[in-house]
Amino acid sequence: MTRTDPQDIETPINLHEQEEESRQSPIDRKEHQGFLPIQTNWFDRLFISVVIWVALCLFWLRFLEPAGLSLNIAQVIAVILAVIIVWKG
Amino acid sequence: MQSNRLGWILLAPTLVILFFFGVVPFFYVLWLSFHQWNPFAVDPNIIYNGADNFRALVFDQGFLSSLGVTIAFVFFAVLSEVILGYFLAQAFMKEFPGKAIFRTVHTLPLIMAPIIVGSIWKLMTTPSIGIIPTVLDDWFGYDLNIGTSALAAFTVTVIMDIWHWTPLVTLTLIAALASLPADPFEQAQIDGANKRQIFWHITLPMIAPALLATVFIRLMDALRTVDEVLMLTGGGPGSATRYLGVHIFKEVFPKTNYGYGSAVSIIVLYLTIVACWLLYAALIAPRNKKA
Repeated sequence: MTRTDPQDIETPINLHEQEEESRQSPIDRKEHQGFLPIQTNWFDRLFISVVIWVALCLFWLRFLEPAGLSLNIAQVIAVILAVIIVWKG
Repeated sequence: MQSNRLGWILLAPTLVILFFFGVVPFFYVLWLSFHQWNPFAVDPNIIYNGADNFRALVFDQGFLSSLGVTIAFVFFAVLSEVILGYFLAQAFMKEFPGKAIFRTVHTLPLIMAPIIVGSIWKLMTTPSIGIIPTVLDDWFGYDLNIGTSALAAFTVTVIMDIWHWTPLVTLTLIAALASLPADPFEQAQIDGANKRQIFWHITLPMIAPALLATVFIRLMDALRTVDEVLMLTGGGPGSATRYLGVHIFKEVFPKTNYGYGSAVSIIVLYLTIVACWLLYAALIAPRNKKA
């Protein structure tokens, strides 16, 4: 039951709160909300970084490398993006 | 602490098997994707070639057309299976004469090996001897020839996949529907909700986790379809049914191009993981956040 203030009769009682709390993992996943639109833990953000890294490299190989831009530039951008995503995402 | 150790001991056999049959092959294929290796070529050595396999892959018209037809195949097959599977599951939730027999017959395709399914459908769709072209010709005057018509071949492979895998979706959804509590449905009926409202606001949200798990399984399976299609059409006519699995098979086995085949395999795995993750992020993560 969430109604802490007895005067607050407008607040609906969440009957499922206890059930939801019991369903939560006992392991502290340290999820947080950064600039990404979903709640993530550090492993989620690392995964997203790898996904973006592969996509960026494939895009680079297909469209930018033929124009003379080295794949190493894509690697540097991918690493910078990965650091930002894991740190602030 | 004691139970923790016991847990790890009980898990150990599974972890060891997973390591040798899952993790090691994955890293081996990943390593191979950065090498050129044709064991039957003049130079059978494994030669490091950096990103050359991936460089070739993004310009390979065969791969790109395979990717296109695979996405179309997965979309039509999985969507049809989920819709059909849901309606069949709803039908099996009701009592009707012969339900047990019908449910057994309906589940039979699921226990067949894909290569057998491909053989059966090849026999059924071979022009002049197959039952399907004969019936279509006699009744509708339609000449079905999956050896010459790209659209017919594609459609038949989709129908074959639906026939083979819809029972899986049905069984999963029967389990999900059977586990639903009756109270919310009774309350909704008392409140005057119609069938559509009950479906959208009660049934669908409650079976969503099971539905999504089924979609994941079917998505992963459909993306690596090989044997059925190889048996039925051999990837043809042209490249109409050369799905990614078939493309990898043709690169790896007839051409023995193991390095390039590994690179394509890694990209297929990547696409599968990304597709599942996007589905998860779009459908499940917002629900968790709301809760």
